[in-house]
Amino acid sequence: MLAVEYFEVECHEPVGAEYYKQITNDVLLDHNLLRVIEKLHISIDPKIPVFIAVGVLKPITTVVRVGDIANINPQEGKMTLVITEETYLASMLNIFWERFGKDRVEQPDRFTVILYNVQVEAKEIEAIVIGHPSESLHRDLIYALRCVAPEGFRLRSERFENGKFSFVASENTLMENINELIKAKFALMGETP
Amino acid sequence: MTLVPVTYKGGIYQHDIVIDLIEDLGGYVVQKHVLAQEVVLQCFVPKDDIELIREISRPIFGEVTDSPLVGTEIAIVSMSLEIHHLPHPSCDIAEYVRRIGAKSNMVSLARGPGKRIAGLNDEERDVINEHDIAVYLMGNFETCIEHKMPILLRGIEVPVVVCGGPDKETLIKVVDPPVEGYVGGVGRFMRRTKEVDQLDKLDEIIGEITRVLEKRREDLAKDPLSVAPARLMNLIRERVPAILAVTSPTPLTVQMGGLRVKLPYDTFAPELRRMEIEDGITLGDIAEVVPSRMRDYILVRVLPFSETNTVI
Repeated sequence: MLAVEYFEVECHEPVGAEYYKQITNDVLLDHNLLRVIEKLHISIDPKIPVFIAVGVLKPITTVVRVGDIANINPQEGKMTLVITEETYLASMLNIFWERFGKDRVEQPDRFTVILYNVQVEAKEIEAIVIGHPSESLHRDLIYALRCVAPEGFRLRSERFENGKFSFVASENTLMENINELIKAKFALMGETP
Repeated sequence: MTLVPVTYKGGIYQHDIVIDLIEDLGGYVVQKHVLAQEVVLQCFVPKDDIELIREISRPIFGEVTDSPLVGTEIAIVSMSLEIHHLPHPSCDIAEYVRRIGAKSNMVSLARGPGKRIAGLNDEERDVINEHDIAVYLMGNFETCIEHKMPILLRGIEVPVVVCGGPDKETLIKVVDPPVEGYVGGVGRFMRRTKEVDQLDKLDEIIGEITRVLEKRREDLAKDPLSVAPARLMNLIRERVPAILAVTSPTPLTVQMGGLRVKLPYDTFAPELRRMEIEDGITLGDIAEVVPSRMRDYILVRVLPFSETNTVI
């Protein structure tokens, strides 16, 4: 977890805390979330039982453009795009269909898209924005934290605003003072919710 | 004659020689897997003849290894089928015990996770009790294990090995009622077991299962079964041709004290009860043929000598 500035798992069972630190690391790594998290504090109390995760995200300003996922090869009357990464392929095709029409866009196989008779320069195509990774970040983060939290903890409360998030889960009704607890956990990282 | 469980691995070429040899020596082939050009036989062979089998299989590059779990059916009890427990560690452990000959079934509980909300229903209890041993895969917190184990062990009659995150001493302290085996340091984790220390942990689980099953074998030897389940398997294969049409990987699953027959109970149970084994003795005389809680399979529980006064 070198990319994360602050990462702690707090639990009165040290062995359990160590395992959960490992689980959190593995899950965030699997979901490619380590690079977007700046600070993360997890507190687990199996006696109550409650799982609290609070954290701060790094600002994400990048967008994905056609040039990031495809190599463009302009030819006479057509332009061939060789796809290197499929994640944003569907949204790219949607944008092409809308802009050029379906009759001018062809996808002969998974990794090739051909544009016929489009009156646009290759550089302009490369600059078309096809994805905003930050849009799905909230959903991905909550899913990852659900994987980290003990499975029986099914009553959840999630908050995500201004680059800060909190996730509380329990198998019982959440306590009334949960906001104070979240505030206290943020304070441990030197932040306010 | 003492039969010991072994695994034979070798090329497909001339492997019939080995099968014939095992059967001529009075052994039984429990499972046969053909994987491309390789054959894996899980079998029971006479202890004194292992060297002979090794010698005869040497020219065809066959290898005979001890497999203490051949002829056992193990329930790997996972708290749920969610991503929290699958594929690691539940599948890793189920697969590892399979490699050394056991038939492992994964039993996932409908309400396994959690502390207060954890429970075990009657179907799950009965399915677990149909196995030779149950391996419970618990989580990382001793508080939760302590709280839920009495509920999850209610009505379980087979030996149990508990795996959990806390160390072995802690597990022994918190698991109540006590169980037959404990493996610490194997709780919930979300990475593949491929490092040396993780594989050592899997070996530790195998060691614990083997120890518990050896004890069960010793107990069974004090009052031997009326017929060896492996022999019964061969007889059913000969006398009930319908079993040959079953597409399941193991249509007849050998257990320590019986056999699971993967045929519909209503249709085939009377036929099995009437099946003659030797000298007019039928299967119904020396075994209980009961419906299994697993699908509509048949469970054959061989009775001990003390109840039938017969050993075939």
